[in-house]
Amino acid sequence: MFPFDLLANYLIVGAALMAIGMVGFLARRNLIVMFLSAEMMLQGVAVTLVGFGRFHGNWTGQVFTIIILTVAASEAAIALALVLVLFKRRSSLDVSLWNDLREPGLPLSVENPDEAEAPEIVPGPESYPHLTVAGIEPPHPRQPWERPRD
Amino acid sequence: MNRDQWLATCVIFLGGLGTWLLLPHKHGKIKARLTQGCGAALSILALLLLSAFYTSPGPFLPNVFFWVFATSAVGSGILTITSRNPVYSALWFASVVLSTSGLFLLAGASFLAAGTIIVYAGAIIVTFLFVIMLAQSEGQALYDRMARAPGAATLSGFALLWAVFYALLMVRSPGGDFKPVVPRLTSASEFVKPTLPGNFKNSGPVLPGSGPAFVLASAIRPTALLADDRAPAPKKSVPHVAALGATLFTDHLIAVEVAGTLLFIALVGAISMATPRTPIRPVDREAISAGDPAQARALANMTN
Repeated sequence: MFPFDLLANYLIVGAALMAIGMVGFLARRNLIVMFLSAEMMLQGVAVTLVGFGRFHGNWTGQVFTIIILTVAASEAAIALALVLVLFKRRSSLDVSLWNDLREPGLPLSVENPDEAEAPEIVPGPESYPHLTVAGIEPPHPRQPWERPRD
Repeated sequence: MNRDQWLATCVIFLGGLGTWLLLPHKHGKIKARLTQGCGAALSILALLLLSAFYTSPGPFLPNVFFWVFATSAVGSGILTITSRNPVYSALWFASVVLSTSGLFLLAGASFLAAGTIIVYAGAIIVTFLFVIMLAQSEGQALYDRMARAPGAATLSGFALLWAVFYALLMVRSPGGDFKPVVPRLTSASEFVKPTLPGNFKNSGPVLPGSGPAFVLASAIRPTALLADDRAPAPKKSVPHVAALGATLFTDHLIAVEVAGTLLFIALVGAISMATPRTPIRPVDREAISAGDPAQARALANMTN
């Protein structure tokens, strides 16, 4: 049996994990710690969902948690790739070095930006990922034995 | 406010104060040992007081395990966000994940517990550690010892927690026997798929089998029911993973397919973002600024 009192325990733990993750996401400046905090918020939600699923006697909570797990894995892959690209450009994991990405007219999130580590400007044009258009054969060297015969 | 709400306010105030004392200083000043000790003591006190909210309706041993797992989850969470070294943060987050898996086990989600350990502790955290070691080879960085508005962040986070506690206590206090909204369908014969009644086409008289119960019975399929003691008789003998697979691949088939596609797209995106590109030499940049189109095209081919 899974009475409401037991569900309330799970809800308390889930809410606490969620709030702690939110504090970490807002307060820390390391990109990786910010992402760990976001994952912790997801963990809190997962605890809540599993508790609710057990309380209502169906699988939906666990199924949704599995979906959350999948999305978290994809998110971690993308986020770590982005973190690596950002680290290559500024040689630092400090999030306040990307202050210039904020909306115009907003104040700085760090009061004195000089306190942040000095950004190292990487020269060169912006490089974005380039994917081959679908349906077009990508250029690749033809081996001699692959050439059509005359 | 009754006793529980005062206790919740007290717990959240102590926990927020402790977390704020433990977080790095705003301007990177070193916090005194005494401050850190006070923060740790306040956080531990709040954790112990938080366990006053845990009710213990079940047998003794599961309650002890729940207390251990819940306390270690929340405590490791606080240590995750307050560690100065990101490697320690990742390891404490692994502890959060392990404790959460214990909670999943206690809630009867054993497959999910194993999956969480494998996916999070086995894959995601190891990847995080790889990135930390790639990016932070030279000791502790300055930005790890500086927080961004720690007071405001702690205030907003713990205000959110207080609001959630308040809502939870409001639900809990009146009767104490809150019933779930889904009606318990006791026999498997109630799950027989009903034929489409005529009242969808013409606004005739409402059939006796229609209404909310009809909608619920057609929305909640027999595969979606948890195999516990409240389930109808044929559901009890189904093993855990088999029942989870049954509901995943019948009721949530599209979601599973979408999740697989999402993983594939994320893989392609991560590879296309993180592959190293050829460095741009100064000669090439001069060629671009000189406006040599052939050179620029060759460069574009090379960098892509």
